[in-house]
Amino acid sequence: MSAIDDLVTELAKLPGIGRKTAQRLTFHLLKQPPEEAGRLADAIRQVRERVTVCGVCGNLTDEEPCAICADPRRDGALLCVVEEAADVGAIERTGRFRGRYHVLGGRLSPLDGVGPEALRLERLLERVGNGSGVREVIVATNPSMEGEVTATYLQQVLRPTGVRVTRIARGLPVGGDLEYADDVTIAQALEARREMSEAD
Amino acid sequence: MPLVATSAVVLQTYRYSESSKVVRLATRDLGVQSAIAKGVLRPRSRFGAALEFLSEGEAQLYFHDSRELHTLAAFDVTNLRRGLALDMARFAGAAALAQVMLKMAPPAPLPAAFDTLTAGLELLASASPEGVEAAAVRALWVLVTELGFGPSLASCVRDGAAIAPSDGAPVAFSAADGGVFCRRCAPAQPPTQLPAEDYRDLLALNDPAAALPALDAPHAAAHRRLVARFVRHHLDAESLSALDSWEGHAWAILSPSPAAS
Repeated sequence: MSAIDDLVTELAKLPGIGRKTAQRLTFHLLKQPPEEAGRLADAIRQVRERVTVCGVCGNLTDEEPCAICADPRRDGALLCVVEEAADVGAIERTGRFRGRYHVLGGRLSPLDGVGPEALRLERLLERVGNGSGVREVIVATNPSMEGEVTATYLQQVLRPTGVRVTRIARGLPVGGDLEYADDVTIAQALEARREMSEAD
Repeated sequence: MPLVATSAVVLQTYRYSESSKVVRLATRDLGVQSAIAKGVLRPRSRFGAALEFLSEGEAQLYFHDSRELHTLAAFDVTNLRRGLALDMARFAGAAALAQVMLKMAPPAPLPAAFDTLTAGLELLASASPEGVEAAAVRALWVLVTELGFGPSLASCVRDGAAIAPSDGAPVAFSAADGGVFCRRCAPAQPPTQLPAEDYRDLLALNDPAAALPALDAPHAAAHRRLVARFVRHHLDAESLSALDSWEGHAWAILSPSPAAS
């Protein structure tokens, strides 16, 4: 197998990349100066060697603890629980959340063999436990069936701690159009309607 | 490539590419089928939000006779079953039911099995908190029976003799043999000895028309074990993740009051 085939095969293993796209990427890299491809190879190697899971929150990081856990300006009383590390990035991009995170590493899914033991729940209980200063846990699991049952379970296991447990809202996307929204989303948006305030 | 409309329940979903899902559906007219639902992960998808585990609706499938993966053109949800996600025991029972359907049902028309599945999910959703365990056990037994694997409970699996537990004697049961034994055929050391009361409960759990028996925690656990062992044996599977999780109350490891849910 040639070096080109090797790279095409490896790139085609990436999510969302078929063999044709892998070939295009390979030939694109071959047209670049050698140092460009070298930088890409170095970046891939570095990310595998340096990025680990933060021992505090479970986010992906190249320093221990991660930048969010180490930031003293973050509000330690607010903890946002998400399924995967990628969800931290999604919430961070909003620039509206100044608390800390806890990454579960998945969601309850009996059919996929994911039970409570596979999630970072004991660590969550330690973080929320007595004297931690956590006042509110925001459950930001996905609004899927498995995400909802994970939220239910979190509510159950956190109940004895006495901490306030809230769930992120569900509804219509900003800039969306009622006509194009699906029935389930519209129904949930109606159920979760709220009083209008000055801020609206 | 005809467009077929059929009632369906979503049994499993997988992400496929950036914007699509592969769904495993229990359909009323086509049995268990796999289909690709293109573009349903996009925010403007008209039916993406409905394609959730256990949701029921009218599916429109471009059905290819010779292929294993069809194309889902639409899914008009009729019952999202979100209530099941609010209770661990109900959800675990429903997941076990979905797994039995996935593993035991063929890709062939199965209207009665589909109706039994949806009736089982309804029973789980509507059962009183103290009746959830019995409801899940019944839903599993009835579905297993509808799929052709039902245990022989009224008569001996060996010689067909009627079982009469009226004398209060225990009844021997074997998952491997597929049911109960009369006293004459019972092996010296049967895998399971059912006390007369538990045998009566087992009969009631297998009869959709009977009232659900009240099971305390140890008896509910014993009935969960019995049906789980039966299913595992007939699927020749040592482990079935959802069934194992339901049988062992996997969610109880951290939860302070699993039964209260």
